[in-house]
Amino acid sequence: MITTADLKVKLIDGLGLEDIEVDEIGDDMALFGDDGLGLDSVDAIEITLIVEKEFGVKIKDAGEESGVFSTPNTLVAYINENK
Amino acid sequence: MRIYDMDKKRYVEVTKVDNPTTKVEQLSHALYCYENEIFDVIYDKAQPALKAHVESFGEEFLKQDEMQFLYFTSGTTGTPTGVYKTKQNSKKQAWALIDTLPKDMKFNRIVTTVPFVHIYGVDIGGVVPKEMDIDVWVKENFIPEELAVEAEVEGTLIVTTPLFIKALNRIKKDTKFKNSYFLTSTAPLSPDDAKEFKERYESSIMQLFASTETGMMAYKVDDETILRAYDCVEIGESDNMLNISSPFVAKKILNETIQKVEFPFQTEDIVEMLSEHEFKLLGRSSNLAKVAGKRISTLQIESIVENLEGVECALVKVRKDEKALRDEVLDIYVESSEEIKSKDLKVALKKVFGSMHIVFKLYNNMIITKSSVGKKIGFKDKK
Repeated sequence: MITTADLKVKLIDGLGLEDIEVDEIGDDMALFGDDGLGLDSVDAIEITLIVEKEFGVKIKDAGEESGVFSTPNTLVAYINENK
Repeated sequence: MRIYDMDKKRYVEVTKVDNPTTKVEQLSHALYCYENEIFDVIYDKAQPALKAHVESFGEEFLKQDEMQFLYFTSGTTGTPTGVYKTKQNSKKQAWALIDTLPKDMKFNRIVTTVPFVHIYGVDIGGVVPKEMDIDVWVKENFIPEELAVEAEVEGTLIVTTPLFIKALNRIKKDTKFKNSYFLTSTAPLSPDDAKEFKERYESSIMQLFASTETGMMAYKVDDETILRAYDCVEIGESDNMLNISSPFVAKKILNETIQKVEFPFQTEDIVEMLSEHEFKLLGRSSNLAKVAGKRISTLQIESIVENLEGVECALVKVRKDEKALRDEVLDIYVESSEEIKSKDLKVALKKVFGSMHIVFKLYNNMIITKSSVGKKIGFKDKK
């Protein structure tokens, strides 16, 4: 099972999030938008590549309806369901 | 020609939209204006500084007779430049592109990953399918796997950016796009990436060499290194820098005032001319970085950094990372009385550029070295 901490470490490293520690990213913090981590659409593409490379899971759609990319929790749930 | 909203899985009408925000709304409104010859100002309203700059002119001032669109760029000095286009400029440009597409391929739709807040999105992603009279498929957010599925469909012309080409090279996908064709914008795509894509997916990429000020100038296919100018675009060189005369350029440009464009139009692209219509791009002369498809001035970034408390001087260098998806990374060297935090800089950048994600690496405790006339020429460690 992948944990949110595992994911956050890979995101911080893969996205080059300077000055951000694992503890500063809440499990239910929005990954995108001004109220959350502030990632953008290019980061979303990077995340699909990070998830495939690091966890061997393909993200097949941007998941506006399913909300895969919403928070660390939703992303980890998707990874664990599809691993 | 119809617009297909891939998120809502339905066709939408070309119609007037007040304050368009989604890609579908932006395209629908831009094409409505194009069809009905209604003047429209197109820029990224998510950038607060740009929005304030454009709005400071007032609508009546911006509107010019016979002009179809007014696009805004960040410009070379940090002051946004407004670039007018007539309908004929956009139409001729669309047909110049259409005439260079492979004659043995028949396209029945365009799928586009780009937004419609700049010239590439509207002129290539919107006007081209309009002139070809084929449907355009739009999705708010694409991920590489989704684009791959669309590219498998025969007769698809994909309007995208080098970022997606690099991303498609990195996913594990056993498929071919033999009957589709890719168009990408000018951002760096190395010949190696283009070659890998061609060999892996058996599909071709046409890279369009263009800017907001000049429109399309030239193109190359796959891993070619030589750019070919469009037949109707005259190219020349002065002090190693490219200049052009083109039917895609309108005679008016907006800086602080509306000015007449003089031809040939001088670009800041350093080139080696190979023939009347062919050249190699060697680099850019100015301090410009390409971030999220937009050219921004490193001088503007330096100015923002130098406005932070305690900062005496800043120097910004552009670093290209061929392996990264993003265009370019900024190395920011800071001379200051106390260390600057990335978080504080992010807040300051956000005030100017909005949600545009600028990737940078901050180097504190530096001394910026200057020439005898005060020009920043380098940096050294304070310790």
